[in-house]
Amino acid sequence: MENIETKLREEAKRLLLEKKADVIIGYEKGTLPLTATPCFITQPDEADKLVWNNLCTQNLAKFVHDLITAHKNSQKRLKPEDRKKKVVGVVARGCTTRSIIIQLQERQYERDEVCILGVPCDGYVDGKELKIRIGGADIVDGSIDGGQMTMKTSDGDKTVALKDVLADCCVTCRFNNPIISDVMIGSPAPAMNPDAEYDDVKEFESKTIDERWAYFTGEMSKCMRCNACRQACPSCYCPTCFAEQSQPQWVGIGEDASDTQVFQFMRLYHMVGRCVDCGSCVAVCPMGVDLRKFLKKIDKDCFEFFGNRAGSSMEDMPPLGKFDEHHDKGDFVYNP
Amino acid sequence: MEKRLIKKDALAGIAKKMAGDVLVWAPVKQEDNVLFKPLRADDEPFFAYLNSKNAPKNVFFPHTETLMKYTRTEKGMVFSEEVNDAPQSVLFGVRPCDAHSFVLLDKLFDQEKYKDGYYIAKRRNTTVITLACVKPPYTSCFCTSVDGEPVSSDGADILLTDIGGDYLVEFVTEKGEKLAKYFGDTQADAAADAKKNEIAAKAKEAIASKIPAHEVKPILDKNFDNPFWDTIHRKCLACGTCTYLCPTCHCFDISDEVTEVEGVRIRSWDSCMFPLFTKETSGHNPRTSQKERWRQRAMHKFKYYIDMFNAIACVGCGRCVMYCPVNIDIRKIVTDISKL
Repeated sequence: MENIETKLREEAKRLLLEKKADVIIGYEKGTLPLTATPCFITQPDEADKLVWNNLCTQNLAKFVHDLITAHKNSQKRLKPEDRKKKVVGVVARGCTTRSIIIQLQERQYERDEVCILGVPCDGYVDGKELKIRIGGADIVDGSIDGGQMTMKTSDGDKTVALKDVLADCCVTCRFNNPIISDVMIGSPAPAMNPDAEYDDVKEFESKTIDERWAYFTGEMSKCMRCNACRQACPSCYCPTCFAEQSQPQWVGIGEDASDTQVFQFMRLYHMVGRCVDCGSCVAVCPMGVDLRKFLKKIDKDCFEFFGNRAGSSMEDMPPLGKFDEHHDKGDFVYNP
Repeated sequence: MEKRLIKKDALAGIAKKMAGDVLVWAPVKQEDNVLFKPLRADDEPFFAYLNSKNAPKNVFFPHTETLMKYTRTEKGMVFSEEVNDAPQSVLFGVRPCDAHSFVLLDKLFDQEKYKDGYYIAKRRNTTVITLACVKPPYTSCFCTSVDGEPVSSDGADILLTDIGGDYLVEFVTEKGEKLAKYFGDTQADAAADAKKNEIAAKAKEAIASKIPAHEVKPILDKNFDNPFWDTIHRKCLACGTCTYLCPTCHCFDISDEVTEVEGVRIRSWDSCMFPLFTKETSGHNPRTSQKERWRQRAMHKFKYYIDMFNAIACVGCGRCVMYCPVNIDIRKIVTDISKL
């Protein structure tokens, strides 16, 4: 990944110097061992802190949407002719570009407001799985080299194979290379294992209704309503989430099990054709709720019923975002 | 006060025995998380833990709590006598940083001006048993920078320290002494005491992460409008992970859940990281962006709490550092503020 990082820094620097982007969203080294964290670069000389490795977790499309929206809001009171576009550069792997495609399809910003620095991806480390593999020990120091993670921990030295701790969504990723980009860095990454994409879902589908419901309620009982899943999601960009509306109030704010279930249910259903399986919601969840199982089920249904894979191309619109007057039955729209 | 020794492997048995008599909250392993939960008959307490995922503040200040219930009748509102449920309980095996947080929360919920009956009743009826950190659990622990110590009886009624094969049991308060019957009858000698002091000093020494927490108050006093505040929030997701896992964060919301004629008024955790936190009925929001929200969080912990109660509202447990999804590190923020 070293030479990708070098090229990435060069390109980021160039885009800022040539004023082709006002800001570059990328990743930098985190303050804890074996972490990377989102960063925002506006000065060319800061580009050297950019990193690209298996520790880059978050889907940065969330920040693209936030920055452009905040900029547009700040320009609302200007005369149209005085308004300026802000171009946001973003370091984007496959899933990040899928999210950008969804945001573009949903008319959140124009294509020329985002400058995509495409990077190949061979998966990111699932921090929770890593913790399990090292018996819950505290990581004091560590490095990744040659497919191995070597760590100094509170419980002695440990080594874990990188492929064993990659996030579930990465292992079966179908789109680990950028779908759209303005600058492509490095050569495409080798394919992951998309054939196994729905194995977990199929197993889940084979369970009885009671078993599935028990799994759902069990997972939801871990949720503490911190909203990290929603906040990390690039497709969750509503200015006011239904969960925060008060007139009417759709869900209570307390810890009541049914409120939590309804919140998560409604969020899941808002993800039909819009979830790119970037795994950000799973990665950020402090309590380890298995949201992916349900999102993947919805994704599978969406593909089987409508042939749609969220954000897989600019032309393939999300099924809930299009209406085909020749094929869709219109009765329920006009005569509910 | 009295000191005793118990065998190290006796601890779980003691917790379970206690759980037969009173409500015992103890660290329990649930899948990959260690959480403080009421110990049920088939639960095995997990004392070999580093620290729990959730701060044990939920024992005194639950995520959701019923304040009152009411029914609308033809003659007007009828309020039910809501029982403030505070049974005799034991909080078994909290880390010293978390026990320290109770002292800090007391300053707010049990102060001269305001008394929070719900919190106070639970606090009064709960005995806190602290399990000292003979080895700092995480590299991100920084308790010694915020008036804590890895082996400390601050906030504890009983302090347990692993001194090798045994736990030294120190009864710190009278409330603690009432549970003495569970801890055998082996009196601790001076050697055990000396060993504990040696371990405590070593543990304190081993806390490597340090922040200038006491130095930033005068700087914060003068820098409400410093451009520095523009730099820390940009990657913040505005989720509540830091505040919900924090042992000292205590902000709450109050709402009414009403069906046709019956209503319940609940209070539930809220977070200064949420945009809705300061949104007013009119629609106006005085904290317009995550910048103002982050400034509030930093100020509240390292300035306002000192202004109000002469104490830093952080215990150095490192939860927000470890679990922030985007690695916003309060240690770095405090260090950066000290350089302003």
